[in-house]
Amino acid sequence: LFPGVRQAQWLTKTKLVEGLPPAVQGIMDNPAHGLQELEERAKHAVSHARLWDTAEVAPRREKYCPVLFENLIHICRLMSGKYPSLTKRMLARNCRIAATWERESILLQVRGLSGILMNSMTPIPPVASKEEILATKEHVLETFYPIAPTIDLQEVNVYKEFNDTGQCFADGYPYSHPHTLFFLESANVRTDRFRPEQLRAKMLMFAFGNALAKAKALHGNDPKVLEQPVVVQSVGTDGQLFQFMVFQLNTTDLVSNDGVKNLVWIDSDQNLYEKAQCVPEIKKKVVTKPAGISGFQPDTFKKFLALYLHGTV
Amino acid sequence: GRRWFSETVLVAPAPPASPLYPPVVASVTAKSKAAKSRRLQRFKERVHAAATVEEKLRLYGKLQRPKYMVYPQTFALNADRWYRSFTKTVLVPGMPPRAAAARPPAAAAGTTPEAGRAPELGAEAPGAAEAAKTAEAAAGAVPYLDVGELRSLACDALLQESFYQNKKRPFLYRDQDHTPGPFLTQLVSTLAAFLSGRNPLLAASSLDLNPQVNYYWHHGEEVVVHGHRKGRVDPVRFQIDDKPHLQIRVPKQLPEVVPLESDLGDVPVIDHKPSKLPLFKKQYENKVFIGSKVADPCCYGHTQFHLLPDKLKRERFIKQRLEDQIEVVYRSNGIASLFAWTAAQAMYQGFWSEADVTRPFVSQAVVTDGKYFAFFCYQLNTLALTAETIKNNPRKNICWGTDSKPLYDVVEDGNVKGFNDEVLLHLVRFLLNRPKEL
Repeated sequence: LFPGVRQAQWLTKTKLVEGLPPAVQGIMDNPAHGLQELEERAKHAVSHARLWDTAEVAPRREKYCPVLFENLIHICRLMSGKYPSLTKRMLARNCRIAATWERESILLQVRGLSGILMNSMTPIPPVASKEEILATKEHVLETFYPIAPTIDLQEVNVYKEFNDTGQCFADGYPYSHPHTLFFLESANVRTDRFRPEQLRAKMLMFAFGNALAKAKALHGNDPKVLEQPVVVQSVGTDGQLFQFMVFQLNTTDLVSNDGVKNLVWIDSDQNLYEKAQCVPEIKKKVVTKPAGISGFQPDTFKKFLALYLHGTV
Repeated sequence: GRRWFSETVLVAPAPPASPLYPPVVASVTAKSKAAKSRRLQRFKERVHAAATVEEKLRLYGKLQRPKYMVYPQTFALNADRWYRSFTKTVLVPGMPPRAAAARPPAAAAGTTPEAGRAPELGAEAPGAAEAAKTAEAAAGAVPYLDVGELRSLACDALLQESFYQNKKRPFLYRDQDHTPGPFLTQLVSTLAAFLSGRNPLLAASSLDLNPQVNYYWHHGEEVVVHGHRKGRVDPVRFQIDDKPHLQIRVPKQLPEVVPLESDLGDVPVIDHKPSKLPLFKKQYENKVFIGSKVADPCCYGHTQFHLLPDKLKRERFIKQRLEDQIEVVYRSNGIASLFAWTAAQAMYQGFWSEADVTRPFVSQAVVTDGKYFAFFCYQLNTLALTAETIKNNPRKNICWGTDSKPLYDVVEDGNVKGFNDEVLLHLVRFLLNRPKEL
């Protein structure tokens, strides 16, 4: 009903900032990381996923979306030749997330399969400075009066309040800090896929859930303002359009509407390429559109890589 | 009469007068042996003259007839002997001797020296297998590979998949998808990323998850048994459709292990029809595919990883008292998959059974069931396996293979017990394999 992100913001007590945070922007702009040379490889990765990967004429979205993601992650992972600390990361697929919190006397819970999670041994340093965090006190969350903010949420009787980020993982797991969540909308039929706005809301909720569970694991269950904010990133895609998000959890005190808020930076609707033509389009015996990838945007890949490298460089 | 005083220019002898009649050749459409051979000739010329590789592949596999489906992962008894005879492969146990330009020197503590493998350190002290550490240290060429680091990466991947991540119970008979599958994916991706600094070929590689590999070929002849074509002599057609768990493709070819014409053993000859193995015939599309289309720059293969399915696990063979067939499973998987992959790579470069390869194609494979690993290296020397091209063809394809060895004993309480460094080092050596100039 509503642009989902606004609703998600209220539910998670978050302030929205457009664009990516300066730390990530800095990684992108730093020429020492050699992001230019990787453009060629990124283009190959896209061509492989969209054009070459199948013995049929054109791969379907269920096939090319995960393949594209794997190819991009492979390129990012190969950077660990240059930055050995990148090997301290581990991908976990199909992990279930569960987190509970109270929001103005409404008990909310986030549960479900959260796509692919990348964990690292070291946490991401906070992205926003102390002043920015304190400044969020002034920010007023927008309300949707007269519509209750929990509209469109499923009301269930919860018998057990889950709080484990995990969760998925047993104790003593060395890669204990959630780093980035990846969401692949790979259903073939368009109606089965989330629209970009809903995808962003989903990303926000799950990033919040992971961060909250981690914060509770680190600092206990009492609601308070966190000394060390927890940062979790999130990337969502449907094979062509990318949504990037960096979420910083500043407080676990979510009951009241005032005080320090959490922050999220969203960079939405980034196209990686315009069109992928599998067979050349021929009109009246003249090739109008040659086969291949057209309109490749290297910046989107740079953002992907910057989010991957964030925290270790 | 007139005298023609022309300068006597040395003129080449006048070209022979063009024949008055067209050449007398066999007819194309008659029902005779000469006509058949003329049709075959025309087909071969068409394929030779094809402009692009895609066109060549399309013409090569155009005619569809019933063919034997060869499954690399099979429970058939002694399948590896049959597969070797179908693909003209010689099996050499053990690993090929390599002039290791950069073999990983064992880090100081706690690794066993590789007794059976004698690497030549190129220009440096040859045959100094035991003194490898000191020789490398003296030459200062290659920095130490930290085996401890590799071991911890492997153990982390194993522990994550089997212990730390809370998964639901495995589905019936789908044990392999639950733990060993993801473990293998994690292990290979992290090791490949870790070693990409050392091996620039890996840094330009392309990793495929669950790709398809197909190859179609003819070998031998048979008489058609029943049907409207009864009594005719037909080539025996085979098709391999393989789905490795993981494969690494690279833009440059791996170097040859032995020269093209080497003869390292004998190819088994089997007198029975292939259907006795058992192999079954079906007619469908003749596909030749390495994992991605011809346009992909990473058109050479580096390493494949195969996961054995639940129905071929060791316990089943032991229960059926067929312990010797366990190794056969690994070998037949290695030989068939690698033959299909290397031959398809060769076809992507334009070679086929009438235009044999001019350089050997080398690829590697690791076959595992999650705990036991077997390593294979294959060199394709010849594609000419059809009944007429095989007659004067002395070349044979070669496959080196090891027996299956466990990587670890058991995983308990967050600890991996009995980790076998040798298997890990072997895997690392496979991943570090690259052409000499890199």
